[in-house]
Amino acid sequence: MKMITAYCNLRADECLVNGEVVARRDAGSEDSWFKQIYRQLDLGYPKFYKMDVLSQAGYLAMELIKKANPDITAAYADDEIALVFANASSSAETDRRFMQSYETGGSPSPSLFVYTLPNIVLGEIAIANKWYGENMFAVLPKFAPGFYLNYSEILLASDSCALLGGWLEVTAGSTDVFLFMVEERENGTEFNNGNLLHLSQTGLVAAY
Amino acid sequence: MIYIGAEVIVSPLGDNAEDNWQALVENRSGIALVPSAGFNQEDIHLAKIAGLNGPLRFQQLVIKVLSALEARIDASILTSDRTIVLISSTKGALDDNLHDQFSETCIAVMQQFGLAHLPMVISNACISGVLTLNVAGKMIEADQYEHVIVIGCDVASDFVLYGFQSLFAVSDKPCAPFDAARKGITLGEGCGAALVSAAKSAFKNAPLQLLTGTSANDANHISGPSRTGEGLVRSILKTLRYNDVLGDEIDFISAHGTGTIFNDEMESIAFSSLNLSHIPLNSLKGYYGHTLGAAGVIETAVCMQMMRNSMLIKSAGYRDAGTSQPLNIILENEPKKLRTILKTASGFGGGNASLMIRDL
Repeated sequence: MKMITAYCNLRADECLVNGEVVARRDAGSEDSWFKQIYRQLDLGYPKFYKMDVLSQAGYLAMELIKKANPDITAAYADDEIALVFANASSSAETDRRFMQSYETGGSPSPSLFVYTLPNIVLGEIAIANKWYGENMFAVLPKFAPGFYLNYSEILLASDSCALLGGWLEVTAGSTDVFLFMVEERENGTEFNNGNLLHLSQTGLVAAY
Repeated sequence: MIYIGAEVIVSPLGDNAEDNWQALVENRSGIALVPSAGFNQEDIHLAKIAGLNGPLRFQQLVIKVLSALEARIDASILTSDRTIVLISSTKGALDDNLHDQFSETCIAVMQQFGLAHLPMVISNACISGVLTLNVAGKMIEADQYEHVIVIGCDVASDFVLYGFQSLFAVSDKPCAPFDAARKGITLGEGCGAALVSAAKSAFKNAPLQLLTGTSANDANHISGPSRTGEGLVRSILKTLRYNDVLGDEIDFISAHGTGTIFNDEMESIAFSSLNLSHIPLNSLKGYYGHTLGAAGVIETAVCMQMMRNSMLIKSAGYRDAGTSQPLNIILENEPKKLRTILKTASGFGGGNASLMIRDL
């Protein structure tokens, strides 16, 4: 049965893994929120500092999922985990910064330009894990469980054995990141429409 | 069986597949020198569509290509609940709305054509087009939809041009894929479309067969290809195996061939390690420039025209061998019956994708 075996929600002030808060933003810190999480995890992956916010978010959530479920890496061949990500605003935040680099008297920044595509985060995760599997990034009006359910049906019928799904919306005004691992397992949370929607909202409910 | 047909191209070479085909038969390129187009007012070679100016260029192109496609299919398909439109693009309507590059176009297209579902956007850099065609085929295999209309579209923008200039990746002459003197890419704009369907009756003219393939990441670098072509090799191997096709059955390869030193070299290594070096190959970037998210769809549409017209089109801009592994690059147009073709793409983010088309 297809099960969600681990998931991570990254919000403006809290980071949760499998529903438990693992990091809270220190508003007094000079570090960005993502940098705070990176430091707390003691990841030792200096490439992190070069990444844009979308890639940082995806990389961190992936590392947190691996930490919660360390078997993931060993359980699959290097091309058996498919990455299926989506968001609503593509790479708009980095696009805006890249435009600023040349509209305010400077030269276009190559280090920003290479992140002006939403699928770059998939490349960063593939590089960090040496994963050679299927990748897809879709731009959707809002989080849509059906998108992941439909595409997972296609992928898991072929060479992919597991799926890392992701919703990555990181803009100047909001941080809404949800990564989840889908595997054929006996235990976990059943991978269906209702559960996906429910887990995507983890941490929002806690605010009430 | 998965059918593909009703291919349409809107590009600097014309507004439909036939005009584009005529230009290719005459080896006419859509690339021209555009004065002061560059970041420091440099003159830059671009493949731009004449008359495509002002706001909503992305939307205009998508609507134009879908109107042209509509005339080539059973029109009731467009509004069917069993049909979805997939749009392959990197930057969409960036110049109209930076913060929401796709919604307005998707909604406008849905309303104008009375679509049952909102079009879905797939954005995977330069492999977007090939990937989206594969997604379309697999949606039909899984019976999620009966018909999938694939549209690939990107428009020229200062944003993308300045970006590639900042990477020193823009050629100072029309791009010359696989040539010894190649110096980088030439950017283009355009839009391609095709219908992928489970029903042969959906097409007014005879369709071809889509042999869907797979994608594979290089896991190597976000903005440069793997030296070994690892991801491209894996993608092609799986695409062959998935369809039970042998390398020797491929009559022609439509390569990615951007004209950068590293991309074209990587492809030569990948094709060589797969023992595909002897198969006639071209890059269409010398005609269309690099149209990014549209490239895979436009180039697949051209492959279909090559198959329909039994003709190999020469690889524009190529003169002297310029890769460490030899390739059989098409030097002149040549009549040839094409039964099975391979289309590949590679791009930023380490993505690689491939598909095959077979004659029926």
